[in-house]
Amino acid sequence: MPFNQKPQKFNANINTVEIGYGDKAIKLGGECTFPFYTFDAPLENAPKVGVEISDMGLSEIPGIQKFYEGASTMAEIAKKAEAMEGADFVCLRLEGGDPNGADKSVDELVAVVKEVAEAVTGPLVVEGCKNVEKDSELLPKVAEVLQGKNALVLSAREENYKAVGAAAGLAYNQKVGAESAVDINLAKQLNVVMTQLGVKAQDIVMNVGSAAVGYGFEYVVSTMDRIKGAALSQNDNMLQMPIITTVADESWSVKEAMASEEDMPEWGPLEDRGISMEVQTAAAVLASGSDAVILKHPQSVAAISKMIKELM
Amino acid sequence: MAKFVTIGERIHCISPSIRKAMAERDPEPILKRAKEQLDAGATYLDVNIGPAENDGEDLMKWAVQLIQSNFDNVPLALDTANKKAIEAGISVYNRSKGKPIVNSADAGGRIENIDLAAANDAIVIALCSAEGIAADNDERMMHCQNMLERGMMLGMEPTDLWFDPLFLVVKGMQDKQMEVLEAIKMFSDMGLNSTGGLSNNSNGMPKHIRPIMDSALVAMCMMQGLTSAIVNPCDLRLMETIKSCDVFKNNTLYADSYLEI
Repeated sequence: MPFNQKPQKFNANINTVEIGYGDKAIKLGGECTFPFYTFDAPLENAPKVGVEISDMGLSEIPGIQKFYEGASTMAEIAKKAEAMEGADFVCLRLEGGDPNGADKSVDELVAVVKEVAEAVTGPLVVEGCKNVEKDSELLPKVAEVLQGKNALVLSAREENYKAVGAAAGLAYNQKVGAESAVDINLAKQLNVVMTQLGVKAQDIVMNVGSAAVGYGFEYVVSTMDRIKGAALSQNDNMLQMPIITTVADESWSVKEAMASEEDMPEWGPLEDRGISMEVQTAAAVLASGSDAVILKHPQSVAAISKMIKELM
Repeated sequence: MAKFVTIGERIHCISPSIRKAMAERDPEPILKRAKEQLDAGATYLDVNIGPAENDGEDLMKWAVQLIQSNFDNVPLALDTANKKAIEAGISVYNRSKGKPIVNSADAGGRIENIDLAAANDAIVIALCSAEGIAADNDERMMHCQNMLERGMMLGMEPTDLWFDPLFLVVKGMQDKQMEVLEAIKMFSDMGLNSTGGLSNNSNGMPKHIRPIMDSALVAMCMMQGLTSAIVNPCDLRLMETIKSCDVFKNNTLYADSYLEI
């Protein structure tokens, strides 16, 4: 009997969220199939790859140092990141704001955002320091200084969605990240309360959390799977926001990507291990439903953007 | 599984204000009831224009266009004994949010409404009775089979016939309630959709009792596999029960604000 292909059709789509402005704007989401199921329907927009840079400067990984060679200011670093092969957008991470770390002032960080925003012409994502109180103060200021850039501000969380959502989504017309930590019910709940606040569903991108492969990653996969399943097969419009995943910070902070070669000679060079963690994590979250990933090593960015191209 | 489909029953010519509005083509009372029901979470709205022997076609067209144009093409159930009026309603119906429902056919004198639904690519509510209430589930399921075969012969998808076991009033037919529930399970086991006028169970009971009985019954019915019901969506207790059962059945993903959406 001949094989008759029956496409799995859903009467639902993931929302399309545009970030950036002008020719270089990118679109996240829009799909009506499971990840890379191009045999069911063409993919509306290819998943996107972002390059992470930090207000704390460059990582000491030799490959990263080499790539950014000659760049000393944040503006120069941002320009190089934007030009990286395979990069669709730049993600500026304001980790120096963490009160338990460098504890930089809001003004100081906003100045960095301004410098980077003026240097790049493509889409910009700005991520806070992950401290809830500091981000509630910092991210509204970030949203304000980025007016007109149509940036994505990461992230509103359960504890501060009102401050972050109202500033980024309502007052300054940016796109807002809704962040939960691998908790599917909370992921939906945040979308509900953000829309009740008045943020348009079409302006929300979910960051449903991640882990490096091998670190409880099956929870990440099942969360993303279930979200895409409910969004498409149950037409749940409180789960139809595209998903962005911050892969770099998760994958470069596990022991496989941190233990030195002197301590672990049998594991081989540290840099290779870090790239491997980053590439594997990114490939896995894309296959599970992420519409965008944020990476930092040039080799990872090149490998993942090539993978996406070949799967399209 | 898809979410439970609630069909709002409150646009009904038995209500004096709706009857008057229909006779005078006065939009306001009808739009008000449509809005109340949609705000309360109804998926479909039933439009009952009564027998409408004189001007049924004109009236149904007017009502369909009025409601759909004001509420983003909300899907409707067209409810009248006048077949021409149903066809007229379908001729102006916008399908973007769902097929029209023909309310209703039975296995007796109204069996031709299945033909009407088949010819118009509509859903039909198929009441499992012929002349009078089915005596038992053997008879109910015989009617179900007959109507299913008729629809499929005419090219309908089996899922476009929504079988109605005929909900019975507790005060008077208390001993028959479990049979109705068993019939729903049989429909469900056959992969069929089902619906019905669930609140008939509490007819004649004090007003404050009815939501309690209706909620208890809808939960039991959903357990048995009922996929839809024709109800008053403004009954908050009932709607909360339906939403909660949808969570238990994994028809919708739980979030703390699930009752608000």
